[in-house]
Amino acid sequence: MTIFLILLYALSLVYISIAERFRTYVTLIAFQGLLLFGISFFELKKVETLNLIFIFSETIIFKTIIVPILLYRVIEKTKSNKVHKKSLPGYYSIILVSFMLVISYLISFFLQHPSIDKIYFTVSLFALFSGLLLIITHKKIFSQMVGFLVLENAVFLFSLAIGNEMPMLINTGILLDIFISVLILGSFATKIGDTIQSLETEELSHLKD
Amino acid sequence: MIIKYFIIGLIIICSILLSKNKILTSTLAGLFICLQVGFTYYVVTHRGQTDAIYFTFDELGLIFLGILCILSITSYYTSLIYLKFEPVENYNIYYLGFLGLILSITGVYLSNNITLTWIFMEATTLSVAALIYHNRTIFTLEATWKYIFICSTGIALAYLGILFLSMAEKGFAANGMSYQNLALAAKVGNPLYLKLAFIFILVGYSAKMEIFPLYTIGIDANYVAPAPASAFISTALVNAGFLSIFRVYKALTGTMVGHWLGHVLLITGLFSLLVAAVYMQRVKNFKRLLAYSTVEVMGIATIGLGLGGSGCYAAILLVILHSFVKSSMFYQFGQAHKILKTYKIFKTGGYMRLYPAGAMVLLIGLIILIGVPPSGLFIPELIIFRTAFATNQWIIFVIVSLLICFIIYGMSSKILQLVFSPVEREIDTQAKINPLQTLSQFIMLGFAMYMCFSQPEFLKDLILKASTILP
Repeated sequence: MTIFLILLYALSLVYISIAERFRTYVTLIAFQGLLLFGISFFELKKVETLNLIFIFSETIIFKTIIVPILLYRVIEKTKSNKVHKKSLPGYYSIILVSFMLVISYLISFFLQHPSIDKIYFTVSLFALFSGLLLIITHKKIFSQMVGFLVLENAVFLFSLAIGNEMPMLINTGILLDIFISVLILGSFATKIGDTIQSLETEELSHLKD
Repeated sequence: MIIKYFIIGLIIICSILLSKNKILTSTLAGLFICLQVGFTYYVVTHRGQTDAIYFTFDELGLIFLGILCILSITSYYTSLIYLKFEPVENYNIYYLGFLGLILSITGVYLSNNITLTWIFMEATTLSVAALIYHNRTIFTLEATWKYIFICSTGIALAYLGILFLSMAEKGFAANGMSYQNLALAAKVGNPLYLKLAFIFILVGYSAKMEIFPLYTIGIDANYVAPAPASAFISTALVNAGFLSIFRVYKALTGTMVGHWLGHVLLITGLFSLLVAAVYMQRVKNFKRLLAYSTVEVMGIATIGLGLGGSGCYAAILLVILHSFVKSSMFYQFGQAHKILKTYKIFKTGGYMRLYPAGAMVLLIGLIILIGVPPSGLFIPELIIFRTAFATNQWIIFVIVSLLICFIIYGMSSKILQLVFSPVEREIDTQAKINPLQTLSQFIMLGFAMYMCFSQPEFLKDLILKASTILP
């Protein structure tokens, strides 16, 4: 079951890399949150109740409900719903994404660890690269925010890959990280939207030497 | 005790949220500074003890907590003057960010657990964002957005590094992820994972330490933040980044990857110096000039760590002295802005005539920053060069010397222009500053100079103990 969910997660990453509408991004981010809960539920068999509550609140409450709601609000407030016309076309994106998948597999093969499943590791790395790709190739602040969330999800998947030895403290940290990043990024994206209607990163290049 | 400190601190910060006038806010902030001084005294008198499981008052934490205490007092005093005419809402948000930053930096300095350090580091991002956004312009919006975005990405990468550490040796995660356990676990850990972990942590925290590769956001943050906040970000927060990287390096240096980590630090330091040397020639703004100077000094400190041995002693000493000099320079540029109404280099000049005390601060600060005797920075830089000779790192010596020459030229030409060159525009000579407001800057610069001639035994002892275990 876990492998099926991880493969679904990988597919969602391919889809997010070629998507052009912000609403699709938000749906996929919510879907990823749901998948992450499923993966952690099946994977962390011996997890303590308190840890499970944390994981539940992180994946379902934050990643599946609160974050998408915040992102929808940004879309509505800024009235921006499509990626920049100069963004990498879907055709090239899919080639790049396939290439990254191969690279992720090769790296996970090279870094193989006795206690970590290779598919788990490959998809985590793939998610990390996909997040970075979204940040680098897109010119709108919203796409970059989604890229950051994909990167956060990659880190979460990575921590799941390691297993249930992760102490409570680290879960608190992840929760804090998501809380701060999403709330602040969301509120600032809206503020930028008030100032720069296009939400384009090119408009944010006043600070130079 | 530390839990009480955090609770009282948070209560004071929350009270500022409810404050409706500036006098109450200043009083509450003053109360917080008293709390900080009292807590620092407690840490000094309970040296070596562990509090609330996750915090240890070790030598390294103690040194930096002492500096933080001094910088908190001076920054608070300078902020009171700087923000005199600010509206109450901005005033409150500034102090919320400032006090929140002191609280989270204290957590970074004293936590003995790598995860807790990471959590407090994340909290610093939030506080700094409030300080950077203070002026509410398109520039501050841009800088704040970039700061939060890149810092959060950096923090996520640092977390990935922590995950790699726990992969390197399973016992590390199971035993609670303290630095002490990390040092033990790393001895038998998988070298490949240890290397990857260090790279990720270094890249992630480089945003805070203002070194290559994520140094850019620090430059922008220093540029747009109010001068007292820039002084604090460029010293106390940069020290937090330094300390976090140093603690991981210290834990890993006794392992088989120790030598490799040294090389990584050397390369990072050299790139930081290169960036500083190039950009200091073309920079057009004094605050950006000082920010690049921070990149330079932290680059040299990174090289010191990479060289190991007495290089580590020098790196810590360098960071200590830099804190006093850089904060004084930022405070002074805040005062210069009051008179000149600009930070733009080409629009300034004649500062010696306009405000001689301030001009003297800039000249003394320049001498100390470029490391010319009687600068205190001369001693750690000399030790770093000597260590490079002793370890046959000739190439490092040559490259660093060349880059420092460029940096000295870039820095001197711009500050000397401000102090001595004739000004080509009308300047409002009515704006006066009481020289007493500059006194704290002279005291801190005086300390940095005194350290060239004599270093107090207790400080030497503290730094030596803080840099032990290293080869």
